[in-house]
Amino acid sequence: MVGFVILAILAMAGAVGVIVARQPVHSALFLIGNIIALAVLYLTLSAEFLAAAQVIVYAGAIMVLFLFVVTLLTAGKDEREAAETLPGQRLIAGGASGLVGLALVVLAILNPGPAISLGLPKNFGTLRGMGAALWGPDFVYLVAVAIMLLTAAIGVLVLNRPERRAVRGARKASARQTRSREGQA
Amino acid sequence: MIGANWVVALAGAIFAVGAVGVMIRKNPLIMFMSAEMMWNAAALAFVAYARVYHAINGQVMAFLIIGTAAAEVGIGLAIIVAVYHRRHRLDIDELSSLRG
Repeated sequence: MVGFVILAILAMAGAVGVIVARQPVHSALFLIGNIIALAVLYLTLSAEFLAAAQVIVYAGAIMVLFLFVVTLLTAGKDEREAAETLPGQRLIAGGASGLVGLALVVLAILNPGPAISLGLPKNFGTLRGMGAALWGPDFVYLVAVAIMLLTAAIGVLVLNRPERRAVRGARKASARQTRSREGQA
Repeated sequence: MIGANWVVALAGAIFAVGAVGVMIRKNPLIMFMSAEMMWNAAALAFVAYARVYHAINGQVMAFLIIGTAAAEVGIGLAIIVAVYHRRHRLDIDELSSLRG
């Protein structure tokens, strides 16, 4: 119980830090704290493989990518948030979503559900158990993740392709226009 | 071991904080991080229910969420960088017009 309370406080502190931090770098660091607290919580819920995957994939790969982009885009800048065109819209929307979240929390606490029973199946949550599920009955999800990652890699290449070809094409088009204009003259 | 409803309540609270972050911030990077936090909250709920019902499928779903988040971060950050190269400002309200 004490462990859960400590982890919950750490996770919530990280979560609140993400949305109140002024600089995106601080948000990223708070998010890393949140992710690591959740990873330890996974360990207590006997999901060892997921705890390791959470630390390696989230806190490792994803957050490094985030920090890289944050430092690339916000280096040496102090961006003030501009004035609203519609005053108060964000506060109202935030308050509404906060109320919805409060309803979620209250509903979760009021409906205890079945008590957690001991005596887990063998290999529950270990690498062996997850592998047996992923290569057995849930193979379709593994294939789905593989296709999704491949699609994402191709999508990133398409989104950030070099613009040189486009510039050359534009130049060629404008040259063609001037040539045709000269021909008309 | 405590009841799973408290873990699910924590997941709901983190989800709510993420939703509030998406609503009130204007920096697309911070909004994106809040969305990541919402993914994480959903994965936590899946893991909690997997523990309650002794079903490994819940953990498989959480694995799916981690994979989805990895793919989504790649695409999303690529979009943010591409937009930044055109507009040179990090403000979500810059993108208020569409052109077909």
